[in-house]
Amino acid sequence: MSEEVLSIRNLRKNFGEKEVLKGVDLDVYRGQIIGYIGPNGAGKSTTVKILLGLEGDYSGEIKIFGRDISNGDISYKKKIGYVPEMADVYDNLTGYEYLTFVGELYGLNHDLVEYKAKGLMDLFGIGEVFHTRIASYSKGMRQKLLIISSLLHNPELLFLDEPINGLDANSVMVFKEILAELAAQGKTIFYSSHIMDVVEKISSRIVLLNDGQIVADGSFAELQKKQGGTLEEIFNQLTGFHNHEEIGRRFVSLVQEV
Amino acid sequence: METRDFKRLKVLDKLQWFFDRMGVNYSVMRKILQVKMIMDERRVPTIFNQNKKKDGTVKKESNGFIKSLWVYLLMSLFLLPFIFLGGNYLFQMSLIFGIIMFMVMTTMVSDFSTVLLDIRDKNILYTRPIDRKTINMAKNVHVMFYLLLLTAALVGIPVLAGLFRHGAIFFLITVIELILLNMFIVVITALIYMAILKFFDGEKLKDIINYVQIILSLSIMVGYQVVVRSYELVNLDIVFIPKWWHLFIPPIWFAAPYEMFLNHVFSPTMVVLSVFAVLIPIASFLLYLRLIPSFEKSLEKLSALQAQKEKKRGKIGESLLKLICRDQTERASFCFAGIMMKTERDFKLRVYPSLGFSIVIPFILFFNQIASQPFAETAASNLYLSIYFAMIVIPSVVLMLSFSGKYKGAWIFQVIPVQNMEMIISGTLKAFLVRLYVPIYVLLSVIFAAIFGVRIIPDLVIVFLTSCLYTLICFLFRKITMPFSEPFEAAKESDSWYIFGLMLIILPFFGLHYLSLYLPFGKYLYMIVLAVALVFGWRWAIGLKLKNVRV
Repeated sequence: MSEEVLSIRNLRKNFGEKEVLKGVDLDVYRGQIIGYIGPNGAGKSTTVKILLGLEGDYSGEIKIFGRDISNGDISYKKKIGYVPEMADVYDNLTGYEYLTFVGELYGLNHDLVEYKAKGLMDLFGIGEVFHTRIASYSKGMRQKLLIISSLLHNPELLFLDEPINGLDANSVMVFKEILAELAAQGKTIFYSSHIMDVVEKISSRIVLLNDGQIVADGSFAELQKKQGGTLEEIFNQLTGFHNHEEIGRRFVSLVQEV
Repeated sequence: METRDFKRLKVLDKLQWFFDRMGVNYSVMRKILQVKMIMDERRVPTIFNQNKKKDGTVKKESNGFIKSLWVYLLMSLFLLPFIFLGGNYLFQMSLIFGIIMFMVMTTMVSDFSTVLLDIRDKNILYTRPIDRKTINMAKNVHVMFYLLLLTAALVGIPVLAGLFRHGAIFFLITVIELILLNMFIVVITALIYMAILKFFDGEKLKDIINYVQIILSLSIMVGYQVVVRSYELVNLDIVFIPKWWHLFIPPIWFAAPYEMFLNHVFSPTMVVLSVFAVLIPIASFLLYLRLIPSFEKSLEKLSALQAQKEKKRGKIGESLLKLICRDQTERASFCFAGIMMKTERDFKLRVYPSLGFSIVIPFILFFNQIASQPFAETAASNLYLSIYFAMIVIPSVVLMLSFSGKYKGAWIFQVIPVQNMEMIISGTLKAFLVRLYVPIYVLLSVIFAAIFGVRIIPDLVIVFLTSCLYTLICFLFRKITMPFSEPFEAAKESDSWYIFGLMLIILPFFGLHYLSLYLPFGKYLYMIVLAVALVFGWRWAIGLKLKNVRV
């Protein structure tokens, strides 16, 4: 087995009375692309936020790159990249200003970040808005900017939350290539999404979270062997959701009452 | 739950026949207006932004704009003397109309640009089966409604006073002219927006609107100071000789009819001016009606995107930057903070007016002196020390550095391991000093040196060093947060006492400087002490403060 990048032991987290994570155990190894899926409110984003130190007050043990993250040493974040869902950025800055700022905070030299940022934006097809304020970017452009900002410092571990939101089909293809290439170079990727066919295709391992617990863990082939069908169907089965047909029918019949 | 209904709409219901005749779908228009008014209640007008509700609790919704009318009512009292004094109408009324135009127009741009420029209308309303005429009428009624309230508040008392002082004709002329003026202002504003959008993109327009808001806030702050003093300066016996360029100054058009009908001056110039006052607003309104479609088209540019050219730092800028900030994180933070101060509109709206105020206040103080004693005496005096008043802006700006309208972007600080927070803070403070304070201070210094002579240059250096040191002190008394990481709503009521307390710290500095003037070489000695304190104190103090917080 290759090097362990992340290990979670019995992770629990409460929001007030409500227990969001009910004992998560997970070991992630170098070069894996983890498809991290689950229904709304299952605790996916919470897990990622805890890993990044955005949420505290959890119980259990988390080791990233072999070191416990609760000891106050935040240097592990230097090797992490993060694309949040619905991210707010300082959108009164231009792409150039934002990216160089972020890069420099990671300790990169200004000229190097500028060169990388410009190059990456060009490759992503948004080079012409490099010096335009982010506020006027389209949704896809913003998303590309966020992806770039998470990669500037060449991180070892990536957390991506709905990263292809707003990207066009061609850009999605480019992005999938990027992920495959990153994984081949030994980067580890944590990919959360609700788009099942993308997750099915890109992940080397799928982790399904339901109601604060992991209910399935394995490659798609392994899951299929056990449950059968597409990832979407597996998802439905494991989260115990069967009445979509009935809800759909009732929805339309209410629409038709004018 | 019942949607809120408004009394104003019930008044409008009485005019339904008019809208029906115009071919407007009244019930739809009424719905649109109702929703817009509900949205208005959730917006805070520029005049009030300083004391926006701060405790974060949800208060009963009430229209902030209508509350702000009290401020205008108060301001209208300043117009009264111009109404009462004498019968030099052309002069008095131009002044009054000038003030009204300025106030109404800046308010219009700053608070109703959202109404005129709402591009959400396009997606929300135009996709529904509503005809354009109804949508446009809703927009116009909406704007007119507020404009009516605003002018009523601003001129209500003066006009009534005029009725008693100058009689019914005065009253009649004023009412008619105010209607014309309001029409004119709506049109002018829309035309200006159109012109701007023709040449620039939406971001630029929003910047311009932002500057108008800043000017409005500033002129209200300064206005109180200046207006009261200006009564002495205004000479009402002034003889007004009409010049050809007066034809281009709208307030003078509006003043001409008074001169004509009340003073019976029927000179050709007066007639032309009066005709202008009537014809131009009407003509421009007709023009506006025809231009509405192209106005809407230009609104599309609001959200359009223009590729911008690269702005490169020059060699000199680069080396200056390296000189000011040695550390790389500090440099990054310096640039970031500089850009935020320059482009974040909420921040600008809150901070820039007080920056402008700090330019004006030292002058207000010694203009009084200049008026009362010969200039040579002033120039030889110690009055230049009033430049210390420029420093009163520092505590509030240093406090404001924590806040931003874009505070949500601050997640980035947590994701990136920021280990030398010290450098981030140092960079931000330096950015404030270099980007905001230095320009103001240099301007003030040049003017002061011109008045008091080059002899005061060492003193100016001392005051600048003191300002830097004072900035550091203000930071030491502040709660530590990442720069630009909190919403403005989180600012507390108690902060203003805090700021006041910090201002008192200027006094001992002032005292030391004053004392040093009486010692031989005193000020040079003092300057060296300040410089040394600054160089050695800067990092040490920031580090110390951060250490105290971590423990």
